Amino acid sequence: MITIAAPDRRKISRSADYMADRMTSGNTEADYILGGGFPLNSINIIMGHPGSGKTIFAEQLMFHNAADDRPVLYLTTLSEPLAKVVRYLQGFSFYDENKFGSQVIYEDVGEQLATDGPTALVPLLREAIRSRSPKIIVIDSFKAVHDLESDGGNRRRMVYELTSLLTAYGTTAFLLGEYTEDDILRYPEFAVADGIVEMSRRRLGNRDERYFRVYKLRGSRYLEGAHAFRITSSGLDIYPRLVSPALPEGYEPATERVSIGVPDLDKMLDGGLWKGTTTLLAGPSGAGKTTIGLQFALDGARKGVPSLYMNFQENPSQLTRTIRNLGVDLDDEAKARLDLVYASPVELQIDSIIVDMFRRIEENGVRRLVIDALGDLASAATDPQRLHDYLYALVQHFAARGITSILNVETTGNTIAGETMQNAMSYLSDNVLLLTVDGEQRTRRAVRVLKTRGSAHDLRVREVEIRPTGLVVLE
Amino acid sequence: MQVHESVGGIDRLDAFAGTILIAERDRNVRELEQHFLESAGFLVEFADDGPAALIQARRGFPRLIITEILIPKLDGLQLCRELKLDATTRDIPVIVFSVLAAETRAKEAGANAFLRKPLVPSVLLGTIRRLAMLEAHSFTEPQ
Repeated sequence: MITIAAPDRRKISRSADYMADRMTSGNTEADYILGGGFPLNSINIIMGHPGSGKTIFAEQLMFHNAADDRPVLYLTTLSEPLAKVVRYLQGFSFYDENKFGSQVIYEDVGEQLATDGPTALVPLLREAIRSRSPKIIVIDSFKAVHDLESDGGNRRRMVYELTSLLTAYGTTAFLLGEYTEDDILRYPEFAVADGIVEMSRRRLGNRDERYFRVYKLRGSRYLEGAHAFRITSSGLDIYPRLVSPALPEGYEPATERVSIGVPDLDKMLDGGLWKGTTTLLAGPSGAGKTTIGLQFALDGARKGVPSLYMNFQENPSQLTRTIRNLGVDLDDEAKARLDLVYASPVELQIDSIIVDMFRRIEENGVRRLVIDALGDLASAATDPQRLHDYLYALVQHFAARGITSILNVETTGNTIAGETMQNAMSYLSDNVLLLTVDGEQRTRRAVRVLKTRGSAHDLRVREVEIRPTGLVVLE
Repeated sequence: MQVHESVGGIDRLDAFAGTILIAERDRNVRELEQHFLESAGFLVEFADDGPAALIQARRGFPRLIITEILIPKLDGLQLCRELKLDATTRDIPVIVFSVLAAETRAKEAGANAFLRKPLVPSVLLGTIRRLAMLEAHSFTEPQ
């Protein structure tokens, strides 16, 4: 069955004990990044430019945690009028009108602050604590309160008063603000905050990329780095950054061979690929990379091995035609074991694709995997270092899970020399196969095994043909 | 014990009305304790340090004592020990309410209950309620 890739939430198991002193953010992926959520009774800063998603993140947290015990209090200051905040809030699926006004209380203190100055904030808060006993307090925007006070000493005094009050009383506080990285050293609230989360946005062509990053979270094993996210009608869809498994060296090197799906190629590889290894299949357009990748995945499905084919180039109808042309007739059981996924390279965001891929691997117990092609992933990653880290982690995860993988990569000619990503992947991969196309009509194809880790292999350049039944190595 | 009415979400505990002596230095904690306890129907009296709390306890026989460990001159644990050694004050329930994680030490000092800061009104009042109902001298676990 061919499916269209759509980002989905990764299921993350959490220890109940570890969560006992934590407050969930209402977002499973954010909790995973935060090391289980925010510490209870902590003071946290959510920083980011206007439109970066701060308010939505806070509101998702507020409505998720709202209950009958103690209310959640949202104070809007001088950034956005309350009516505007509430109007947009109602468009999100986490909004619950039964909680609004009773369990989740919105108050506009902007006018009073504008009249009485920022020193009015602490008495306002003290009165709110007395009258409402809130378990969560959100101040949006806290930075805007500072703009009313030019004297640094007064600012510091106000922050001291505020944090003293919030420390004495049992509440988890979130100070939202349009802070920049430079502000971390400038504003006193950063020194007393238990947690600092940044939400950023940067433009990439016609689309925006958003990132969630934890700068600081006391007493927490949080996941460092920038984690991509999107804003949807259900709030934030966050894709935790892929990192290498904790102990990649802990796995046992496989002693089992896996067929590449082309018998003649298996012979060149001294009996096939070692289970759990990663193979880079490089070559120019039309050299046969997709054919070999499909044969590998189809061979797995026929043998009862759950197989995943991640494809960014051929849409579902094109892929169906390609499989039909190979003359493959899978029974229903084999079809169920083959997961053919198409993701549009135009809308591709590397983080969402990786999360989707690992969800499929876990759900289906995938043991064979093809990515066709790496170049599409590369174009989705704006940062070369980030791409390299991702690919390295991918290979480590595959090895640790015993997944035998083929990564197709398109070259501009009949060599991988001089191509940065291909060279990097050649270093990371266990095996490298190079496909070439020659001749006036580009009809002569060949294959050469450049590298196999821990195995003998055929050193010759061997001519190949793509026939209706698949790729064949000629004598 | 009877609950008479609710003020700002806090149940009044008139049947348990009386003075609560609080040994606490933090201005914000004092202010919040005073507000929530008075809303529940108590009279509240403060002591700035351990010796002052001891004198006030012997003089006024409060209904209950709440003490932070980190108070000047005589810390809250030693205050608790002295109260429990004195025949005139040993029956006054003591809650150690501290920023320190010192539940075991509080129990060893004879405290009737231990609560960790920050202040959560329902937890503090719930503990007072249980101590009032039990009127026992045994250590009470917070819930």
